[in-house]
Amino acid sequence: MVVDAGAAADRPRRLYADSGLPDRLFRGVATGGGALVLAVMLLVGGFLTYRGWQALREAGWSFVTTAQWDPDARHFGIAAVITGTVLIAGVAIVFAVPLAIGTALYISEYAPFRLRRTLVSTIDLMAAVPSVVYGLWGLFFLQGKVIGLARWLSTYFGWIPLFKVDGADPNDPLATATVYTASTFVAGMVVAMMVTPIICSVIREVFSQAPIGEREGAYALGATRWGMIRSVVLPFGKGGMIGGTMLGLGRALGETIGVYMIISPVFVVQPHILQAGASSVSSLIALRYGEATPFAMSALMAAGLALFLMTLVVNFAASSIVARSRSGATAE
Amino acid sequence: MKKIRATAAAFALMLCSLLALGQSPVHADTYARISGSGSTWSQNALDQWRRNVTQYGMTVDYTGNGSTIGRQQFADHTVDFALSEIPYGMTEFGVREPPPTRGYAYMPIVAGGTAFMYNLKIGGRRVTNLRLNGDTVTKIFTGKITNWADKQIAADNPGLSLPSRKIIPVVRSDGAGSTAQFTLWMSKQHGALWNDYCRRLGKPVPCGLTSYYPVVPGSGFIAQNGSLGVSGYTRQNYAEGAITYVEYSYALTTGFPVAKVENAAGYYTEPTASNVAVALTKAQINQNKDSSQYLTQILDGVYTYQDSRVYPLSSYSYMILPTTLEAPMTAAKGKTLGAFGYYFLCQGQAQADPLGYSPLPINLVQAGFDQLRKIPGAVAQSINIAGCHNPTFSTSGVNTLVKNAPFPRACDKAGTQQCPSGTGGAQHISTPVKPSASTSGGGSTGGTTTGGSGTNVGTSGGSSGTTAGSTGGTAGTTTAGGTSGTAGTTTAGGVDPDTGLATGDSTGSSGGAQDIAASSVSVGADSFWGLRTWLMGISALLLLAVVVAPPALARRLARPGSTTGRRDERA
Repeated sequence: MVVDAGAAADRPRRLYADSGLPDRLFRGVATGGGALVLAVMLLVGGFLTYRGWQALREAGWSFVTTAQWDPDARHFGIAAVITGTVLIAGVAIVFAVPLAIGTALYISEYAPFRLRRTLVSTIDLMAAVPSVVYGLWGLFFLQGKVIGLARWLSTYFGWIPLFKVDGADPNDPLATATVYTASTFVAGMVVAMMVTPIICSVIREVFSQAPIGEREGAYALGATRWGMIRSVVLPFGKGGMIGGTMLGLGRALGETIGVYMIISPVFVVQPHILQAGASSVSSLIALRYGEATPFAMSALMAAGLALFLMTLVVNFAASSIVARSRSGATAE
Repeated sequence: MKKIRATAAAFALMLCSLLALGQSPVHADTYARISGSGSTWSQNALDQWRRNVTQYGMTVDYTGNGSTIGRQQFADHTVDFALSEIPYGMTEFGVREPPPTRGYAYMPIVAGGTAFMYNLKIGGRRVTNLRLNGDTVTKIFTGKITNWADKQIAADNPGLSLPSRKIIPVVRSDGAGSTAQFTLWMSKQHGALWNDYCRRLGKPVPCGLTSYYPVVPGSGFIAQNGSLGVSGYTRQNYAEGAITYVEYSYALTTGFPVAKVENAAGYYTEPTASNVAVALTKAQINQNKDSSQYLTQILDGVYTYQDSRVYPLSSYSYMILPTTLEAPMTAAKGKTLGAFGYYFLCQGQAQADPLGYSPLPINLVQAGFDQLRKIPGAVAQSINIAGCHNPTFSTSGVNTLVKNAPFPRACDKAGTQQCPSGTGGAQHISTPVKPSASTSGGGSTGGTTTGGSGTNVGTSGGSSGTTAGSTGGTAGTTTAGGTSGTAGTTTAGGVDPDTGLATGDSTGSSGGAQDIAASSVSVGADSFWGLRTWLMGISALLLLAVVVAPPALARRLARPGSTTGRRDERA
C-alpha cells in the first residue's frame, strides 16, 4: 500500500506539447493515407476470398494438388499454374538480375556524369513501355531468335530434367522447331525485359548511397575502381540487390499480358522450361474471365487469391530486406 | 540564348495552334465516344470502318479480345457494344451461357469464311495450292493425322508430293467465335471424329461447339490468343508445317495461302467474297422479330449446299447492340452507334471484299436497319435504304455478288487434277504440280481428266439437282475448249488468265522439284563426342582464357613490388 502510494507520488509529470493544427492535419492525412492503402489491400484480399470461397470449399485440398483446369466438371486446381508462374518468374529473374546489376553499376560508377541522367531516364522509359508491346516484340521477334539457344541447351543439357524437350530430335532435319516455342523460357525472357528496370532502379539507388568516405578510403589505399566497387559498393548494396530482386520477382509473378501472348497454355505440371506449353495464374485469369458460370468465375477468383497471397509474401520479404539495407550496416 | 528560346517558344505555340485547328474539323454533328470489344474474326473490317468514320468526327474504340470476353463485357455493362460470331445462350460442354440482363439485339455486320492458313514448303518452295477435304481437316485438328505426308492428304492433293513433316495445328487459346464456328462445323459434319476427340479429353459426349479449343497436353498443338496471335505464329519461319483456322482476311494481310476446302459438290474452293456469298444464300436466318435470337444464323444448309462455288465454312459475324439506356449507354452514344452502324452496313460493305470479307446482302442490311433503330438515341430518319451504297445491291433485287460469282475451274474438282494457282495472300505465287495432275498436259490428258470429273459429279451429287447438272455443264465446256491445250483450260476457268499462263510455264520444272522434296535427308546419327562438341569445348576454353588470362598475365608481369598493393585492395 505504502509502496504503491510512493510509486504514485514519484510518477513523472505527463508531458504535453501542442504540435499545432498544421502538424496535426498532416499527421492525420499521412496516417489516413497509410491506413487506406492497408484497407484497400484487405478489401482486395477479402473480395477474392469471398468470391473464391465457393470454389475453394468445393475443391478442398485438391485445389492445391490438381493440375487440370475444368471448373464446370468440378475438376480443377492450381498445381500446374502455380508451378508455371514460379518457373516463368524464375527464368525472368535469372536473366534480369545480372543485366540489372551490370546496368546499375555502369550508371552509378562508370558512366560519364553528363550521360548519367540520360541513361537513368532511358531505364525509366523501359519501365513505362506497356507490357503488350513487350509481348508483341517477344512473339514476333524474340521467339524466332531464341530457338537456336533453346535447341542448343536441350541438345547438350537435355540430361538435366529442366532442359529436356519431349518430341525433339536434333538429328532430324525435318523436325519442327515449334517444340521450342511458346515456352516458359521465352515467356521468362520477355518478363525479364519488364522487370529489369524495376530491379535496376532499386539497385542503382542503393549503389549511389555507398558512403563517399569509404569509397575515397579505398582509393587512398590504392584500390582500382573495380577494387573499390568490390570492396565498398557491392557489400554495401547487397541488401538492396536482394531487395530489388525480390521486388522484381513480385512483378514477374503477376505479369499477365506479356506471358499471355507468348505461351501456349497447358494444364499439366510442366517442368521442361524449353518445351512448348506453359502456364501461369495471371494468364489463366486473362484467358478465362469470359467464363459463363458463376462457379467457374469463383474458381478463377480462388486462383487469383493464391497469386495474391504469394505476391504479398514475396513483396513483404522484399520490403523488409530493402528497409534493413538502407541503414548501410554492412559497410560500417 | 534568350532570343533562341523566344523563337522556339513562338514556334511551339504555332505548332500547338495548328494541332488544335487540325483536331476540330468543321462538321455539323458531334458524336460521343463509344467503345466495344469482342471478336478478332471480324476485327480487320471493324478497324477499317472505325478509321474511316474518324473523318465524320466519330471516335469508336474497339478491343479485340475474343468473342467470349466481348459477350461477357457487354453483359457486365463494361462496353457499349460487342462483336461475336455466336449468340448468347449457346451450350458449351453442358454449360449454357446466360443472356445479359440489359436489353440487346443482334445485327449482322459482315460475312466471311473461316480459312485454314498454313505454312508449308516443298523443297524450300512455299506451297500455295493445298487442298483439304472436311474429313482431313477434322482429322488434322483432332490429332488423327499428324504428318503432311499422310495418305489422306496426298489423296486430296494429287499434284503435290508433300514432305514428311509434322503437322502443327495452331488453335486459339482464348474464348473465340472462330473456334465456336469451326467446332460447330466439325460437330455437325464430322461428329464421330469430334466426339472421339472430346472423349479422349474426358469431356462429356456428344460435344457440340465450344469457344475454348480443348488441347491434349504434349500433342504438339500450339495455342495462341487472338486471330493475330494464331496467324502471326503460323507465318513465322520456324513454324513450318503449321496450320491454323482464322478469318480469310488475316491470310490476305500476312501474305499466306489458305487451304481450299472441299464442298458438298466435290469442288475445292477458297473463301473469296463471292464463294462466301453463294454459300450464305442457304444460311437460315431467324426471321422471328419477337425472338431474342432475331437474325441469328443456322448454318446447316450452308455445309451441305450443292453448288460448286460454295465455301462450306462461311458465316456471318454479329454486333450485339444495346436496346436500353442502361449504363454505360447514353442517348448521345446511341446516336454515334446508329450513325456508325449505318455507315458500315452501306458504304463500309464496299471494303469488305478487298479486306477478305464478304458484303451483306440487301435483306440483311434492311433487317440490320430495323435493329439499328432500336438503339435509344439513334437518329431513325437518317437510316434508310436509299443512298446506301452496298455492292451487293442491284435494281432487280438480285444479289449481284451471287449472280456474278465465278464457277471454279475444272482442276479444282476432286479427282486427279490440281490447280497450280495460289490462294489467299499468296495468290500470285503458283506452285508447280506433278505433270500427271496438270491441266495443261495436252489433248489426251484433258480428255481423261474430264472423264474422271464427270463421274465425280455423279457420285458426290447423290440427289444431284439442277446445281450438279450445271456444274457438269461447266466441266463439259472445259473439254470442248480443251482440245487446244492450255488456251482451252484458261478460258474455261475464266477467272484469271495470268494463272493459266503460269500453269503452262511451271509444268516443265515441276517434276524435278517434287522428287527432291519427297525424300527426306538423313544425317548420320552424331555421337556426343563429335566435331561439334569438341569445337564448343574449345570455344568455351578460349572464352575462359579471354576473361582470366589478361589479369593473371598482368599480375605476373607486375609482380616485383606490387604484392602489398594487392593485399590492401582486398582488405
